Amino acid sequence: MIEVTDLWKSFGENHVLKGITLQVPKGTTYVILGGSGSGKTVLMKHVIGLLRPDRGTIRVGGHEISALEGKALTDARQLFGMVFQGAALFDSMTVYENVAFPLTEKRWKDRPHADEIRARVVEKLKVVDLGEEVLPRFPSELSGGMRKRVALARALVSDPQVVLYDEPTTGLDPITTDYVDGMILNAKNKLGITSMVISHDIASAFKVADRLAVLYDGHLAAEGTPEEVRQSPDPFVQRFLSLWFAKQ
Amino acid sequence: MQRVWAAFEDFGRMILFAVEAVAWTFRPPFRPDLVLAQMAFIGVGSAFIVGATGLAAGMVFALQMNYALKQFAAEGYVGGSVAFSLARELAPIFTALMVTGRAGSAIATELGTMRVTEQIDAMESMAVNPIQYLVVPRILASLLMFPVLTMVFNVIGYGGGFMMGVYVARIPIGPFIEHTREFMDPADIMHGLLKALVFGLIVSIVTTWRGYAAAGGARGVGEGTTRAVVSSSIAVLVADYVITFISVGT
Repeated sequence: MIEVTDLWKSFGENHVLKGITLQVPKGTTYVILGGSGSGKTVLMKHVIGLLRPDRGTIRVGGHEISALEGKALTDARQLFGMVFQGAALFDSMTVYENVAFPLTEKRWKDRPHADEIRARVVEKLKVVDLGEEVLPRFPSELSGGMRKRVALARALVSDPQVVLYDEPTTGLDPITTDYVDGMILNAKNKLGITSMVISHDIASAFKVADRLAVLYDGHLAAEGTPEEVRQSPDPFVQRFLSLWFAKQ
Repeated sequence: MQRVWAAFEDFGRMILFAVEAVAWTFRPPFRPDLVLAQMAFIGVGSAFIVGATGLAAGMVFALQMNYALKQFAAEGYVGGSVAFSLARELAPIFTALMVTGRAGSAIATELGTMRVTEQIDAMESMAVNPIQYLVVPRILASLLMFPVLTMVFNVIGYGGGFMMGVYVARIPIGPFIEHTREFMDPADIMHGLLKALVFGLIVSIVTTWRGYAAAGGARGVGEGTTRAVVSSSIAVLVADYVITFISVGT
């Protein structure tokens, strides 16, 4: 579903990605672990075409995202939903307007009827355990966990094939973190969605991942199933994981 | 030298941004509701401060002209000189500076906040072009409302000048109105409205660009807003000189 091949990216003298290659099969959850500033978000923004690579290709569902521009790139983005680290809800809009946004902003010939939009908004909010009472509220009136849930509902409302999660559990309490992990698993199990998660939350990563990669110094220090990554001989990976596994 | 180069690079990026905004203006989907909302914010929202400034400017200018022209026994020309100065210079420039302070700073802050909280990235990830959705309506609304606000300034400013001239300085209404008609020409009004159009374009592009290109959290948004107001004001003053020079020469 997602194929990243030999991806390189620099910002001035800062070489962030140095030849990343990975594949995410359809219907699976792929987690990229890494420390702060390791380039995880940069990698994810390449996948959705928000950044252009210096070298390398990104293919998603048959589209070569790295080669698309303008309308073709806009159309290809219909494949995606994305949950941002801080939820990135539009603070001047209500919950309803936020979740409905990907539908109301479609071209008029593709735009569903207003009744259908409302039905789909309510349905997706239900998937994340939120009722209709939140529809008229503004993001500033919601808790951090609720904002993440609304953001996931917005990412799911246009029935995307791929959902990208940028640090979905950062800053959340353990109960909400567990809830968000459940949402990611539900999206895969119930809706068959392909997910890519970037995180530095090792517990969540091992819980939701079908495959895992550890990003360090611009390259993948380890890649495979959670068990394979856990057994990786790479010194950084061992150090990165040991701090968490030592606590268990 | 590096700072000069960076300033040129930033200017070049702003020009590309403006060209992109123009290109997106003519592509569907068109969003008249967003343009109307921005017209209400930029135009209706600024009407009070523009009107108040116009009233003050007209009143003060009439008193000053009365003081100056009285020395030549030419008080009757106060109305004409107030109207002429308002139409060609004071109304467009004061309006642009007042709207930059009120609406321009708000535009830069709003877009800057949306940038640093990833709301603009989120919009792009949902297959909505943020330049078309956020920038184009603000530019169109500015192009439409700057001339309207300039006319509001003209009318209220002349009203203020009339009150001071006729009721305070005791200039007879007849000469006051008659000399206004003698001095003024529709071309003078058009000259001011042309300036307003250019100022609207400048202010909207500079303020949206400063917000759109903001980086680095709350501090970056604050710096972007300050630069938006300062750059817009300077650009408006320079454009005012250029248009006036081209129009009237030396």
